[in-house]
Amino acid sequence: MLILDLLINGLIIGVFYALMAMGLSLIFGILKIVNFAHGEFYMVGAYAYTLAAVMLKVPPWLALPLAFFAGAIVGLVVERLLIRPLYAGYTSWGLKRDEYAVIVTFALSILLINLVDKFVGPYGIRGPPLVGNARVHVGPAIVSGHRLVASLVAIALVAGTMLLVRYSHWGRQIQAVAQNRLGASLAGTDPARVSGIVFALAGGLAAVAGALLANVFNPTPDVGLFPATKAYVIIVLGGMGSIAGAVVASLLLGVLESFGSVYISYEYRDTFGLIILMIVLLIRPQGLLGEHSREV
Amino acid sequence: MRRIVDTRGRMRTDFLASLAVLAIVAFLPAVMTSDYWRGVIVVSMYFALLAISWNLLAGYTGQFSLAPATFAMIGGYTTGLLAYHFGATAVLGIPAAIVVGGVIGLLLAAIVMRLRGPYLALTTLSFAEIIRVVIANSIDFTRGDLGLNVPSLFERRLTSYYVMLAVVAGIQAGVYWLLRGPGGLYLRAIRDDEVAAAGRGVDTVRWKTYAFALSAAIGGLAGALYAHFAQFVSPELGLVSQAGLVISMVVIGGLGSLGGPIVGAVLVYVTSELLREVGGYQLIVFAILVILFARFFRDGLWGLLRSGYERRFVTSDVRTVTAE
Amino acid sequence: MTAVSYLAVEQLTVAFGGVRALDGVNLAVASGELVGLVGPNGSGKTTLVNVLSGYLRPDAGEARLEGRRIDGLDPTTLAHLGVLRTFQLTRVFPRMSVLENLLVAGCALGLTPGAAEPRALQLLEEISLLRLQNTDAGRLSGGQAKLLEFAACFMMSPRITLLDEPFAAIHPTMKEVMARFIRRRHAAGQTFLLISHDMPVVIELCPRTICLNAGGVIADGETRQVFSNPHVIEAYLGEAAA
Repeated sequence: MLILDLLINGLIIGVFYALMAMGLSLIFGILKIVNFAHGEFYMVGAYAYTLAAVMLKVPPWLALPLAFFAGAIVGLVVERLLIRPLYAGYTSWGLKRDEYAVIVTFALSILLINLVDKFVGPYGIRGPPLVGNARVHVGPAIVSGHRLVASLVAIALVAGTMLLVRYSHWGRQIQAVAQNRLGASLAGTDPARVSGIVFALAGGLAAVAGALLANVFNPTPDVGLFPATKAYVIIVLGGMGSIAGAVVASLLLGVLESFGSVYISYEYRDTFGLIILMIVLLIRPQGLLGEHSREV
Repeated sequence: MRRIVDTRGRMRTDFLASLAVLAIVAFLPAVMTSDYWRGVIVVSMYFALLAISWNLLAGYTGQFSLAPATFAMIGGYTTGLLAYHFGATAVLGIPAAIVVGGVIGLLLAAIVMRLRGPYLALTTLSFAEIIRVVIANSIDFTRGDLGLNVPSLFERRLTSYYVMLAVVAGIQAGVYWLLRGPGGLYLRAIRDDEVAAAGRGVDTVRWKTYAFALSAAIGGLAGALYAHFAQFVSPELGLVSQAGLVISMVVIGGLGSLGGPIVGAVLVYVTSELLREVGGYQLIVFAILVILFARFFRDGLWGLLRSGYERRFVTSDVRTVTAE
Repeated sequence: MTAVSYLAVEQLTVAFGGVRALDGVNLAVASGELVGLVGPNGSGKTTLVNVLSGYLRPDAGEARLEGRRIDGLDPTTLAHLGVLRTFQLTRVFPRMSVLENLLVAGCALGLTPGAAEPRALQLLEEISLLRLQNTDAGRLSGGQAKLLEFAACFMMSPRITLLDEPFAAIHPTMKEVMARFIRRRHAAGQTFLLISHDMPVVIELCPRTICLNAGGVIADGETRQVFSNPHVIEAYLGEAAA
């Protein structure tokens, strides 16, 4: 049945989007900035996984956590070097926080893409699948073995992250800093450390997404731009800073694109999300979960 | 020779200094006889226009749009399509590009009017991408990624050189005229604190709209001129990476200053051409520079030059603010 | 009250979720009055000012200025109608000079730059900031910035000026400058609504005071009487003190 097929494929895509969007949402939640270099975490993961598996002959199952750590480390370094100044009392003069974040993460994105392009090469190598290319039946739909396993890994990570943020000690600290940075610091949480944790987590999640999809989207220097654009749309639609919202919006976008590419237009499937984003922001400028007042 | 500095005086000095920079560029062909390098300067003038337009919107009005390159692409395609489908010449194409750019700028303004910061950036990014994808996919109409051939405007490169230079000077003068009047006060107030600006009676909606429309119109003009010079236009003109290039030029040159965009555009583009011969590291270098400048030299090169100048030539009545 | 009040507020209600920041507030201010607005934290003072200056839309009730409805209008329109305010957390334009901060206020309300500049310089002289006219406002001390924000309300003659905690955390000298300024303008016929926690200043400046608590008016009258009103004392200090 076509509809079920499209639905399942859409959900699968959505889960991968969620890996990207959750991290971005977390970052926005605690720092109130959008990380324009998020796609590059994805790229780092894709490359780490592929290079480890292909050149170092590491088994794919081991290359995956390797990718996670690569992304986490890059995230941590980025936070340390570039983002720290944002909350070190830097914002009252000259560039404002938002402006600084946009410029710096944008430049970082270009930097990382070109560094990889220069030092690793512009051509893609296909990432190895996690399992053989067997086809599996999920109900009436047919999905490739790798895709299924990758989706399961992704689902596990999404669920795990949501549980982590909601219930764990670290997760509570994250929530505290997201709600009230000063208050949290007064209560003994170090916001700087939490920011580091969040960036590492976000980087790791995006990197895993890149690794899981390295089989489908061969790692090239700018492979991360595409999923990143999706992630930006998702976090605005799902409410910047809301993890659950990001997950829901990711799934919805995946399904929408899946159906839209068949029933509306294949060529413009990537623009659906963008168009919806603009319409939503026109009608409800505060996003889907904002409040109705002029700020004072 | 020491004078007290007031903002209007400072702006005038900046404007005159920027004209001096353009005058230097005017003399360059006397020593720079290679057609290739003259072409490089022409293209850097194209970027200078985009830089001026983005600086007006982001540096002076605080609207950090990621779509400056989009309007260049729109302008280029307006004149290109008019030529391709109707055989129109640049005499029609260029004014049309300005108008179309401005109108679409109005549209963008309407879309993002109530947005700030990251929402604004993301929405302009989406806007830029949608338009680029539409142009790239409308193969019947635009020839998509193949691009359009655009008739040349001037036979001699040197003519293009001086025309572009004159356009930059003209736009710079226009922008200066706007900024030194009450409009400049309103835009900067919006940038500094939109909430307070509204409370003071500044019509923030109207002035943000003006800023977007004007910035877009300048972008359209730039794109059209470039299209006729390069005799080609493709969706690549509107890539986000192009927007990133423009943004780096402004940040390195000096965001929010009158002379920064021109200096930034020329330096960055010329340097990138020089480095191209050495081996493609230019984007890496610029990205690092942008990060360094954003972090440590928020006023860019122009700001550095300016403080050097002021330290030597100007009395400071403003350095120390006595404690209460 | 036979004539139409200058400023009339009727049954004004603002609710945030389940909390009623303003609960059917009624008050009237006559032209040329200098009225204090007091009340414990969270009583709705700033919310009231936000509604009157267009930053918040009320859920019910109305506000009228000289008979004309002003609730629901946006801040820019209200500024042009002569309703000006200052903010609890001082707002100036940090990257514009002190002089330009005033010029903006003047030009936006219709003055030509030529007319605005002498006016601005005069104001700066009055508040002793003339020397700093070319300093970027972001470099001012907290008190100087407050003074600047305050003075910018007077580039044109406002119909009513709403001051939100203008005396909070500033040096006594500045306080004195501001108080003198207010007294002078009041004597010339200007209308003020002044939110302040600073009781001595309110007693000294304002002949009349309105006290809010939990979104409602609990006292409205001669200032000293309001402050000795047991309900007011209870609101500030809790039941035991009443």
